[in-house]
Amino acid sequence: MATDLVPEVVQPAADSSRPAPAAKRTRRARNLPRDLFRYRWLYLLLLPGLVYFVVFKYLPMYGLTIAFKDYVPFLGYSGSEWVGLKHFQELFTGPDFGRLLFNTLLLALLTIVFVFPAPIVVALLLNELRVNVLKRSVQSLVYIPHFLSWTIVASLTYLLFSVDFGVIANWIHGIVGGQKTDYVAQADWFRPLIVLQLLWKQTGWGTIIYLAALAGVDSQLYEAARVDGAGRWRQFWHITLPAIRPTIVVMAILTSGHLMDSGFEQIWLMTTSLNRDVADVFDTFVYYIGITQGSFSYATAVGLFKGVVGVVLIFGSNLLAKRLGQRGLF
Amino acid sequence: MTIFSRRRIAVAAVTTALLAASACSGGGDDKGGEAASNELTVMAPLFGTAPDPNGELQQAVEKLIGKKLKVTWVPNAEYGDKSNVTLASDKIPDVMVVNEKSPSFVKAAEAGAFWDLTGKLDKYPNLKPSNEQTAKNSQTNGKTYGIYRVRPLLRSGIVIRKDWLAKLGLKEPQTTNDLYTIAKAFAEKDPDGNGKKDTYGLIIPKWPGNYASASPYDVVETWFGAPNGWGERDGKLVPGFDTPEFLKANEWLRGWVKEGLVNPDFATLDSANWNDPFVQGKGGMIIDVNVRATQLLDLFKEKNPKDFDKVTLVGNLKGPDGEKHSYPFTGYNMVMAISKQHVRTEDQLDQVLQTLDKLESKDGSILLTNGIEGRNFKVDGQYAVPLNQDDPKVKAIQNDVDKAFIQLGTRASVGLGAYALRPNDEASRAMREKFDVLMNEDLKTAVFNPALSIIAPTAVAKGQTLDTIIPDARIKYLSGAITEEQLKAQIKRWYDSGGTDIVKEVNDLSAKAGG
Repeated sequence: MATDLVPEVVQPAADSSRPAPAAKRTRRARNLPRDLFRYRWLYLLLLPGLVYFVVFKYLPMYGLTIAFKDYVPFLGYSGSEWVGLKHFQELFTGPDFGRLLFNTLLLALLTIVFVFPAPIVVALLLNELRVNVLKRSVQSLVYIPHFLSWTIVASLTYLLFSVDFGVIANWIHGIVGGQKTDYVAQADWFRPLIVLQLLWKQTGWGTIIYLAALAGVDSQLYEAARVDGAGRWRQFWHITLPAIRPTIVVMAILTSGHLMDSGFEQIWLMTTSLNRDVADVFDTFVYYIGITQGSFSYATAVGLFKGVVGVVLIFGSNLLAKRLGQRGLF
Repeated sequence: MTIFSRRRIAVAAVTTALLAASACSGGGDDKGGEAASNELTVMAPLFGTAPDPNGELQQAVEKLIGKKLKVTWVPNAEYGDKSNVTLASDKIPDVMVVNEKSPSFVKAAEAGAFWDLTGKLDKYPNLKPSNEQTAKNSQTNGKTYGIYRVRPLLRSGIVIRKDWLAKLGLKEPQTTNDLYTIAKAFAEKDPDGNGKKDTYGLIIPKWPGNYASASPYDVVETWFGAPNGWGERDGKLVPGFDTPEFLKANEWLRGWVKEGLVNPDFATLDSANWNDPFVQGKGGMIIDVNVRATQLLDLFKEKNPKDFDKVTLVGNLKGPDGEKHSYPFTGYNMVMAISKQHVRTEDQLDQVLQTLDKLESKDGSILLTNGIEGRNFKVDGQYAVPLNQDDPKVKAIQNDVDKAFIQLGTRASVGLGAYALRPNDEASRAMREKFDVLMNEDLKTAVFNPALSIIAPTAVAKGQTLDTIIPDARIKYLSGAITEEQLKAQIKRWYDSGGTDIVKEVNDLSAKAGG
């Protein structure tokens, strides 16, 4: 790219293309009926997508009402008794709430600290590779784990880390010596293993979006910087990083909405009697009380609480991003 | 653009929207009682591939009962989850094989979603309970919500490597002390003779059930004199884990873990792979149901058809108090409940019960457990002998029987009722015969759970959070992660999180049910 002699069109700075928002809003409102008619075929094309969201995302929200009822399936949605905030009260004052919240948030924190930056780092490293064959093959190889199901990842973890026959466990034991550690069962190793699994499975996939952002950086900028005497590190700091910053911010906002999602399958598959105290999170709790126990109302209340926290976090981090001078998501 | 004219696109888009909208309004239609009367919908567990609804066996069954059969076969591994989801839907089948003690079923039944069959079954000769104890076990707070699917009343036993015992000059165990001696020898005296200390005594898997669910731990606790689930102490019913015998049994087992007599991954070994360490010669004992012995025998045979008689089965053991306490089973596995969704009146219920009565008759039981006589099996004395198994059509019948239809039987099951399968070899025949001998011997000392039919409302409401406390604490204690004091603290936590209410309710309900 650096030797590319054809000058590319310089991209206009993003901000200059934005008209004053207030003026645009009023004009848009006045012209809405006319625009609707004028672009009617485009709007018609939009319709199936809209219908999809209404039918599969918004209408089912009616079911959330059972969070405020004592739902008995035999009596149905309308026949079940309203109980107000009883289930929420039970959740917040129950013996599990503190532990669930702590476990969920700690896992989220570990994810943000270790898992979120990993694709950025890998993408930046890949970007520095100049041998294209190597770059592409590494890229493809790190994607692969993304396509494996969590069941397979969990089984692999058991195979590699089992205290009885685990290859890695035995290998570490051979180096460190002492007593054998039961990585898959012990509570202390639960979170490290979860983070390791996430890193292994998701890092490669996450690099795609950053690599795309990096590919869009104008090579003239690097050339100019080099002429000015900037080294590799300077180029990285002043060109590469600012170029992918908007992508990082958008990804961060999107991630924040999933802070309360710990990934049910992964956690559930890795839970044992010995690590349940640290493994229980809202996602598995909803499964236990909803599907296993049949307390549908209570489970819905927990899910709704999770959803509300997610929405608050998305809006919050979007606002924060704007405050910090970035372009938020919306 | 000529083919996809604008108008056409518009029509297509609107159609899509309408289709999507109508799809969501569906599902509310009701079949009504009348239309359903010549058809029986059933939900039952499946252990392989689902039978063809037009298959030979299904047609034979339909001919026998005189009704069209519509079975939803659900893989056994997800049966519990799927039944809970089904109970939450408006598509409950007429007849549902269900765990009558699961909270969601109890809730649904108490809300009136299922027929109370108490006292109604005696009219039907093939549905009438044949065993008092089992009938009582399958009740829920004094009410019969379903027809129990019979199983042997006692299946607990210890499977031991016969050749290892012989090599080390040991006898089959009679007491828990003997068992310890054997485990110690298996772990330390190199029973496989490879010169390495790479074996252990007992193999325990990650147990999927909770407390009092026939786990190896539950069985050992019973040997030590602890109650089976619930027991009477000082005139009151107490949970089995709140007894000194429970603590003693687990202290003993904890010693095993510490001394390396148990597989080190006992907290995580998948129960589906339970046989592996045994067959691979890593461990020499399994405490489980007796049929595991024949399973293991078959696996050894697969490995080496010339030298496979390496398994022996031993019954329950005498505890440290010199007494024998045996761990019985409930005598059944899930019940067939009848939903009120389509079966609305007593007359309709009578019809369904009559149909089921035909299904569970002698001929029906043979169809469900053995198949079609002269087609996939022939009778030889007390045994069924497989026929024409190379014919794919016959193979399909056999598969439908073994993996699916046998689950619809309430009176016949593996080794009960109908014809038993003729064993392949002398060793399995001897083993099979041992089952009954050991069962009848151990039933004399069986410790039954007096509160089995009692479901405390608090357990229904809070069960999920309470249920894991004890089994988790037990595993932690056994692995050495917590001390005995901490184990006791966990038992106290059980009481504090709702257990106190459960104990009170169980005692009250049990007094009301008349013991």
